[in-house]
This record gives sequence, structure tokens and C-alpha cells, in this order.
Amino acid sequence: MNRAVATGSIALTLASALTLTACGGSGGAGVAADAEQTLTVWAMGTEGEKLGDVAEEYEKSHSHLTVKVTPIGWDVAHQKLVAAAAAGKLPDVVQMGGSYLGEFADMGVLEPVDTKTVQEDDYFPAAWQQGSYDGKTYGVPWYVDTRVLFYRTDLAKKAGVEAAPATMAELRSAAEAYQKKADTKWGLSIQPGGLDTVQSFYQFLYSAGGTIIDDDGKAAVNSAAAVKALENYGSYFDKGLSEKSVRPGYDVTKDFNTGAVPMFFGGPWLTNLIDENYPDLKGKWAIAPVPADEASVSMAGGSSLAVSADSDHKAAAKELVAHLTGAKGQADWFERTNDLPANKAAWKTGDLATDPTMQVWRKQMDTARATPSQPKLTEITSKVDTAIESVTQGKSSAKEALDKAQSEIEGLVQ
Amino acid sequence: MSLTTGPAAPQAAAVDKSPHGGGKSGRTRRGNRSLSRHNLTGWLFSTPFLVLFGVFMLFPIVATLLMSFTDFGARNVTRPLEAEFVGLDNYTQLFQDDKFLKALFNTGYFVVVGVPATILLGLLAAILLNNGIDRARTLFRVGFYAPVVTTIVAVAVVWRFVLDPSDGLIASLASEVGLTAPDFLGSETWAMPSLIAMAVWRNLGTVMVLCIAGLQAIPAEVREAARLDGAGVWQELRGITVPLLRPTLLYATVITTIGYLNVFEEPFVMTQGGPSDSTLTVSLDMYREGFNFFHMGYASAMAYVLFVVIMGITVLQLRLLKDNTR
Repeated sequence: MNRAVATGSIALTLASALTLTACGGSGGAGVAADAEQTLTVWAMGTEGEKLGDVAEEYEKSHSHLTVKVTPIGWDVAHQKLVAAAAAGKLPDVVQMGGSYLGEFADMGVLEPVDTKTVQEDDYFPAAWQQGSYDGKTYGVPWYVDTRVLFYRTDLAKKAGVEAAPATMAELRSAAEAYQKKADTKWGLSIQPGGLDTVQSFYQFLYSAGGTIIDDDGKAAVNSAAAVKALENYGSYFDKGLSEKSVRPGYDVTKDFNTGAVPMFFGGPWLTNLIDENYPDLKGKWAIAPVPADEASVSMAGGSSLAVSADSDHKAAAKELVAHLTGAKGQADWFERTNDLPANKAAWKTGDLATDPTMQVWRKQMDTARATPSQPKLTEITSKVDTAIESVTQGKSSAKEALDKAQSEIEGLVQ
Repeated sequence: MSLTTGPAAPQAAAVDKSPHGGGKSGRTRRGNRSLSRHNLTGWLFSTPFLVLFGVFMLFPIVATLLMSFTDFGARNVTRPLEAEFVGLDNYTQLFQDDKFLKALFNTGYFVVVGVPATILLGLLAAILLNNGIDRARTLFRVGFYAPVVTTIVAVAVVWRFVLDPSDGLIASLASEVGLTAPDFLGSETWAMPSLIAMAVWRNLGTVMVLCIAGLQAIPAEVREAARLDGAGVWQELRGITVPLLRPTLLYATVITTIGYLNVFEEPFVMTQGGPSDSTLTVSLDMYREGFNFFHMGYASAMAYVLFVVIMGITVLQLRLLKDNTR
């Protein structure tokens, strides 16, 4: 019996080894763009759900195509993409989260973008940067997101805060005023620790002129500017202006509605969420740019669209990507999802051009910064998360925490 | 980490002590003599199982072992053969890794507090249901067992409400009587006990079901005899129930321990290992290293360390607890 099992398992191992190695080699000429074919597309979250409608319309004007969209949950997206990449089964077109791109580009599973036809100048600089890795472009920016300050205008009156805080010093005094004079439980909601705390911290870090990895690709997280930013961030917890405890799945809009939290940094999807869930709150809140330190710089996130290096339908896939990332396609996409267009030309039409709150997002995107594409980005940012947590929990000084993160990150950058 | 397993096995062991297995061995020996044809049929019938076992169990087990000696990372997904052999580096690195040592400690904490609590409360619930409550027995059985079959996500929603420091159940009850409840999930001291409480609540139903089955297998005459001799409730429990239930309790302890050594879901959905890694368990650390950071080699080494720990503890438990029954 032992021998049979052994033979079986060896055969199995060999078979899987062969399939794993074989998948690297396919590709080749592929099918022409106008030939009859089926395009497969993977997209995450809300995008995945709404992209189906766009695909249907696209099929109408491209009758030779069948576009099959598969929505994937963000929570399983990374694993699913890695597994698909390993099996050589990535779809023709795939949505790439900003933090994924470096990793997949490094694996060699993405087709480089032809930068002669797709113009860098058409997109926000931070959006373009997220599609690039190692000097090459692999993803075309699809939509962007950034963070701005959400604040309660009704409570601001009570607190005697006249206008939205424009500087970091004003942000602090506004938080104090809210808490003292308007009786709010907290002054500002920022994440104290746990996964992706860094996303709250970017606003402080970038505005102070700091960064995690500098333009030369070297770790720079313990610079004087970064230390100053983290000291500022930590002081909100010291002084009881921000909540120290972490709750995964914490929904800040609930506390924003009750008034327990009068200010927080949030992304574009939250405007709709607040309007839908708390209609009574309408007119009692507003958004403002990130308060300036050296400058007002927010983080940039978002997604790009990439074509799989293994795809047999590259020509048609590139046409679809060009359609979705073009000015017209993105304006239409904004109507459907409220995702902010990455293509600057799309901002010249409709609400995007006229609505004053949209201008806040637009302005913030001009200066927003993206984290550079790095294959180990998740791990790198997790070191920063740890540093932030040790400061907000009062366990170490900003300098000590960032020095430690710096030495760890130095070993992770490429 | 749900511990659902058939309650039949330990109970049978508990009752069926007479060794009348002798007849069976003769039959097996006869079957072995006419080799080829019978064997072929046997193999044929086992093939589906063997194939599935090979693909989904044996291959991953072997692959993990091999991987644990390499630096398998994200780029090796498409180029698996380029992974470099690093010998025992992953293992030596593990034991210098503060995070892993903390995870190991946390897991130990979880087991040391969680297992006795689960067994004790499970046994208590079983005894209560078996003797005390007559009317609503079924209702209570279902009530205690419901958490076992409820998905962790639903459980998490309920427990977050219970533990919420601002408007949760415990916090509001505490403020009624003028106390302030701690911030359970946000405090390094309270986060782990909170998760243990949740796990005990989720798993005591399994132990209860096992124990009820065991209790019902204790012959009524034994109890009657004890009562005639004037034994009280406590004496009956100590002299009869617990000793006769020992095999069941042993089984329950072993599976609960294995389950808790693997604990993953509670910290994953409730705290993500925080605050400050105070609820980071080995399984969660392994998941992060493997799937968030793609240190597959390192995570594989972790898996094997955990395997050895579980194996060691299980063997120890079986030795220590089983010998006493004789």
C-alpha cells in the first residue's frame, strides 16, 4: 500500500510542478481586436458590481465581443489574484488596487502599458504613479480616492469655530473647542492602531513633508518631518482628543451622526453613505481640504486597470481599458459609482465641473501623494502601523518608534 | 475552530469495556490470504478517497514541509522552482522573532484559561440538563448548542455589541449600578479574556453534547445503588459521574485543546490581533505572514512548529489522563 501511495503522490507532485511551470510560457500573438471573442474582467467591491452594466453597453457598440465581468470581494481579492497569477489564470483585464500593483508587476504577470498611446499628462500625477513600477507603467489609472476633512458645521457654531481648520494648529484648537464647548465626546477621529492605521497618518505625514519611501526608493520614515508628524498625531491621543481603543469594523459615520465625533478624515465614498444613512444630517456637515502643515497633502489611493501578460485577447482588452479610462468613460463611471475620475479631462463636465464640494476633492487630488509601488508594500506599511500604535498607546516616543520602523523597512525596500 | 465531532465514539468507549474484539481478528486474517483480486477491488473502491486525500491533504502537507526550508515568496508564485533552499533558517529565525514568541505565549494563554473553562462549563451544563431542568430541556439544549453552529461573523456582531465600551450591553449594565466597564477589546489586559469568554461560549455546547451522551450511558442502577448507600449530590458527582465520564472528558479535552491551539477566527474577526499584538495567535500570525506578506516559507515553518506543539501536547494529555482510568 505504501508504495502505491508514494507513487501516486510523486506523480501528483510532478504533475502540479509541470502545470505550474508551463503557465509561464503561453501568450504569443493572440487574437485580433475585431475578431469574435470573450473578454474576462475581474473587479472588486462596488466596482465589480457596477461594471457589469458598463460592459453590457460596451457589448452593444462592439457586437463581436462578449464581456464577462466577475465581481470579487475586497477581503478575498488579494489571495484570489495571487492564486490566479500562480495558475496563469488571470483574466484578460484586471482591476489593480494601488497597493497591489508593485507585487504583481514584480511577478511578471502584467502587460506593460504602451505609454505612447496612453498619455501620462491626462491623469493626476499620484494616480499615474500607482500604475508604475520600476520605471515602467503596468496599469492605466481608473479612479482615484483621497482623504479630506469631514466636519460638523452645526456643532462648529456651538464650539465657536468659524471656518474649517486650515492649518494643523487650527485643527488642534478646533478639536479642543468641539470637545469643550460643543460637548462632543472626542475632538477628531483618527485610527489609533491596527491594520492600515497608516492611512490615517498619511495626511499628517505628507502634509509635514515626510514620506515612507523617498523618490530614490530608500526608506525615509524617521526623517525630522515624519517624527514631527507622528508627534502631532500622537498628541491627539495624549490629550484625550481621539479615542485610544481600536475596533475593527468601526463605523465612524455612526458617531459622526450622533455628534460623538465631530471631525474625521474620510474618502469620497463616505459622502453618499452619510447622505443615504443619515438624511437628517444634511446641511449640518461639510468637507474641507486637509489642514496644511508645510502644505496640504493628502494620500492618494484608487485603482488602475491592467491587462494580463498571459492574455490571448490583449488587443481587445487594451481597447476596453482605453474606453474605461478615457475622459468620457470616467465621467460616465462617476455618474454610476461616485468614484473620482483619475482622468483630468473628465472633471470638465457635469457635476464634476460645477459642484463646489467636488472642487474640494479635485483640489486635494492635485497635490495628493501615492505610496510608491513596492512588491512588499503591505509589509512595509504594517511596520509603520506598529510604530504609530506604540506612540498612540504611549509606549514609545515618535522618534524611537520611527527609528525602529526605519531599520525594519530598510530591509524590505527594493 | 468549530469542534463538531460525532459524540458516539467516546461514549461507546465509556460503556463498552468488555474486550470482545477477538472474533474479528480471525476474519481479517482470512481475507488477507487471497491477495490479488480482493485487493484490486479494495483499491478500486478506495481510489476516489485516495485521490482526494492525495490532492487535498498529502500534497499540501508535503509541499508545506518542503516550502518551510525555502524562502518561498510572492515572486515564486509564478517561478516556484526559483525559491531558494535556506535549510533551517526559517526555524531558527522563528525563535528569535518577538512577534512569533508573543503569539506563542498568547496561544498558550488562550489554551490554559480557555480549555478548563470550556470543559467545566460544558460539563456543568450537561449535568444540569441531564438532572435538573425537566420541562424546557430541549429548549436549553438547543440554546447551549446554537452558538456552536452559528457563523463567527454573526457571533462577532453580537459580541461586539455586548463588549462595546460606549453603548454595549455590559457597559450599560455597569453604568446602571454606577460602575465603568473596561474597554474590553481596546485594552491589552482585557482583550484576550474577552476573546476567551467568547470562545468558551461558542464551544461549551460541543462539550455539553458529548457529556450528555456520556451521562446517559451511565446505567441508572449504579446511581440508584449510590443513592441507597446514602450518597449526596456532590458525592455522586465525584464518585460516579466524573470517573465514569472520564473517557468522554478526555476526548473533549483533547479536541478542545487542539481547537484552541489553532485559534484563529475570534482574534481575526474581533481584534485583528490588536491592541499592540495582545491577541495575536500563532494561526493569525501564520495567516498574516503567509497571505498578507507572502512569506510562504516562513509561514510554512510556523505551521510545522504549531503542528509539533499540538502533537506533543496531545500525546502528553493522552498519557497523563488516560492512565488514571485504569
